[in-house]
Amino acid sequence: MKKVININFQGRVIPIEETAYDILKQYVESLRRYFANEEGRDEIINDIEGRIAELFSERLKKGAVCITDEDVQAIMASMGRPEDFEAEAAETVSAASGVGGSATGQQQQSSSQQSQSTGTGTSYNTGATRRLVRNADDKIIAGVCSGLANYMRIDPVIMRILFVVLFFTGGSGFLVYLILWVAVPSQSVQSNITKRLYRSSDDKVIAGVCGGLAAYFNISTWVPRLIFALPLIIGLFSGPFNWFWGGDMGFWVGPRIVTGSLGSTLFVTYIILWIAVPIAVTAAEKLEMRGERVDLNTIRDAVKGDLESFKSKAQNWGSEVKQSAQQFGDRARQFSQSEHVKTFTTEASATARSAGSGIAHIIGVLFKAFFLFIIGMIALVLFGVLMAVLFGGPPMMAMKEFFIGGLWQNLLVGLTVFLCLGVPIIAMITWLIRRIMGVRSRNHYLGYVFGGLWFIGIISAALLAGSLSQDFKARNLLEEQVPLTQPSTGKLYVDVASDNINTRYYSSDWFYDWDGDWPIFGANMDSMLLNTVRIDVKKSNDNNFHLDKIRFSRGNDPFYARSLAEKINFQPVQNDSLLLLPKRFAISRNEKFRMQQVLLVLQVPVGKRFYLNRSISTYNWFDIRYNHHGGIDIDDSWEHTYWVETGREYVMTPDGPKQVSKLDPEALKRGEYKEKEKNEDNDEGDGDNQQKQSAPAAPSAPHAPNSRKHKDSTNDGKYHYHRDQKNDTTKVNNI
Amino acid sequence: MNIENTQSQMRKGILEFCILSIIRRGEAYPSDIVDEMRAANLQILEGTLYPLLTRLKNAEMLTYRWVESNSGPPRKYFSLTPKGEEFFKELETTWNELANAVNKLASKRESLASSANNNNSTTEQPTETTQPNN
Repeated sequence: MKKVININFQGRVIPIEETAYDILKQYVESLRRYFANEEGRDEIINDIEGRIAELFSERLKKGAVCITDEDVQAIMASMGRPEDFEAEAAETVSAASGVGGSATGQQQQSSSQQSQSTGTGTSYNTGATRRLVRNADDKIIAGVCSGLANYMRIDPVIMRILFVVLFFTGGSGFLVYLILWVAVPSQSVQSNITKRLYRSSDDKVIAGVCGGLAAYFNISTWVPRLIFALPLIIGLFSGPFNWFWGGDMGFWVGPRIVTGSLGSTLFVTYIILWIAVPIAVTAAEKLEMRGERVDLNTIRDAVKGDLESFKSKAQNWGSEVKQSAQQFGDRARQFSQSEHVKTFTTEASATARSAGSGIAHIIGVLFKAFFLFIIGMIALVLFGVLMAVLFGGPPMMAMKEFFIGGLWQNLLVGLTVFLCLGVPIIAMITWLIRRIMGVRSRNHYLGYVFGGLWFIGIISAALLAGSLSQDFKARNLLEEQVPLTQPSTGKLYVDVASDNINTRYYSSDWFYDWDGDWPIFGANMDSMLLNTVRIDVKKSNDNNFHLDKIRFSRGNDPFYARSLAEKINFQPVQNDSLLLLPKRFAISRNEKFRMQQVLLVLQVPVGKRFYLNRSISTYNWFDIRYNHHGGIDIDDSWEHTYWVETGREYVMTPDGPKQVSKLDPEALKRGEYKEKEKNEDNDEGDGDNQQKQSAPAAPSAPHAPNSRKHKDSTNDGKYHYHRDQKNDTTKVNNI
Repeated sequence: MNIENTQSQMRKGILEFCILSIIRRGEAYPSDIVDEMRAANLQILEGTLYPLLTRLKNAEMLTYRWVESNSGPPRKYFSLTPKGEEFFKELETTWNELANAVNKLASKRESLASSANNNNSTTEQPTETTQPNN
């Protein structure tokens, strides 16, 4: 008992048994598949269908009630199955597609000779006449990798991965690719074996990624599984060890890299593969996953294999075959459509060549390559940023606390990092995997999802920037005088106190601060150290040293800014002639980083000397915009500040500070005058300075009275003294 | 080296020539061509014939017209174009030369005794002699 259905076949209504219909459909699909690369594919199929319809009609005319399985089988035997006429026609098929339709009589003749080298039967068995060509049929950019792989008889995917790796590690792959693109001719080298990466539906633990990978690379499933699980195992294993060693940074490095970055990389890889790779459901997909040739026999075998394992599904045989055949047809159709698009570039290059100008071809290639290069660079930069975020993670997270306040901003930061940076990278990797592994994208909404998420990321980045700029909007300052005792020698040494902070801070080297330009000296989870300190020198109005301390801060309003400025704890310590400044000041995470700054204005009376130690320059100097409109106008009080070099002794003159070594030593020694010309003017003011100044200079005076060199050495005298002490101690340590 | 492969290789080369020579005699319908070829004891599958015809048509060797049929969809009747005619003539001369050469070689029986070693050179010599004929 069989069901009979009516089909519209080539414009005729034909009653046919359902099973016979299935067979017929399979047969036509197999033909479609077989002639997929043939130029007049639709026409051929149409002709054959027409002939079949004719044979059906004849049979029905002879009195048959309907078309039966046997009828279809008989017709198939007469027409021939793809497998049957493969041996006869295979080479002519490839020859025709190799010439690409522009075949004139002569070319057709020659192409049949060419076909010897481009035989199709199985993909890699072309033998002695193997030539290096770019594969026009199986290509992502220009078919270089595919052609090379065919030449070396390896899987094109391996070659592609190799090139991608080469590209990302120095870009040499790009150059090689470019050269091969220009130098190697393009030709049709078809391979019937199309292997695609699927997730395995039969062999899966979580999502079948490992199973699919194993099938793709033709290895046992446990290999990828072990690779993906390894970091977890090592992590479990090395955990106690880390604990034992007290989590010292030095020891962490080994296991940390494996368990930390590699582990997370593999985890992300798994997730990405999960997203990017479709699962193999139908028989055809399962075959593709294993890289077996998809034709009727193998599909039937696969389906039968399934049936043996799932005997209960026996009745689904028909539907499953039907489904796979439909899938199969869809794909063939898709393939033909994409082929049309692809041929555009091939045709373009072909016409360029036929026009006799290889130059046009090369320019075209270079243009395309340049475009790809730009894309690649953008990808690389994005990748680098993500890596920076990943590896600079802990300090970054620590930093974040000092900038970001409140749920809203935290949310925005999260969105920005993950959507703005993460999404494009994941999308890029997804795309790469799909291209390289030949994953067929079943739907387009993944792209829209990626695009949408990225857009949200951009918006949140903009909102974050706006919100932050609001926090930095206002600026205020707090001015106070630091009481100074007048140094007995008349000379003030300004130095930076040595570091006595033993808390472990993240060094700023964790960021990009290789040259010390970063204003943030260091940070930990509770406080951040800033060294945005600046020292200005100006002339004192009286005969005393004065020190003004101005603390700045920004905030969302001037009052808040002022309260933040108040919280800056920066206390210079004076020890007679030595003024020690803190190396940096700390701000706690409650206060946030709001561009806190400290400006010290040292007022030096005329005739007195001062010396800024070189260590002062470790401060991160900043510029004060004196006329910052809308901000604070500090024009009046600090108009006469001078630029002084560190590590030099200066003397304050009525004209401003002068380097002692550059002054005339005679004049300096002789009397109270800093410079010869100014003798008269400064008589009075410098009177008492003389005694004070002569005191330190006295010991070295006998050595070389009048030479400038001598003066230098005396000037540095104090400094050397200071330093010698240090040297002594280090010597002792060394001994 | 299997015999079937060699046989199909031999057949393959002459397929186009045979088809053209059938069509040359007048408009032909594909299944007629197959029948005729089978009658001449030249086995061919229709599935092989259709692609060949399409290819020849695309190469402007053949042209066709639709003829209504009472036993099915309209039929394509193929005929030769002038270009196809030219092509056929070239193939014909080649075939004659080839057939002559092959026959000559295949029927030659006497002189082989001299040297079994020169088998290769003897097969090459006739092809060289055929070239001046071109």
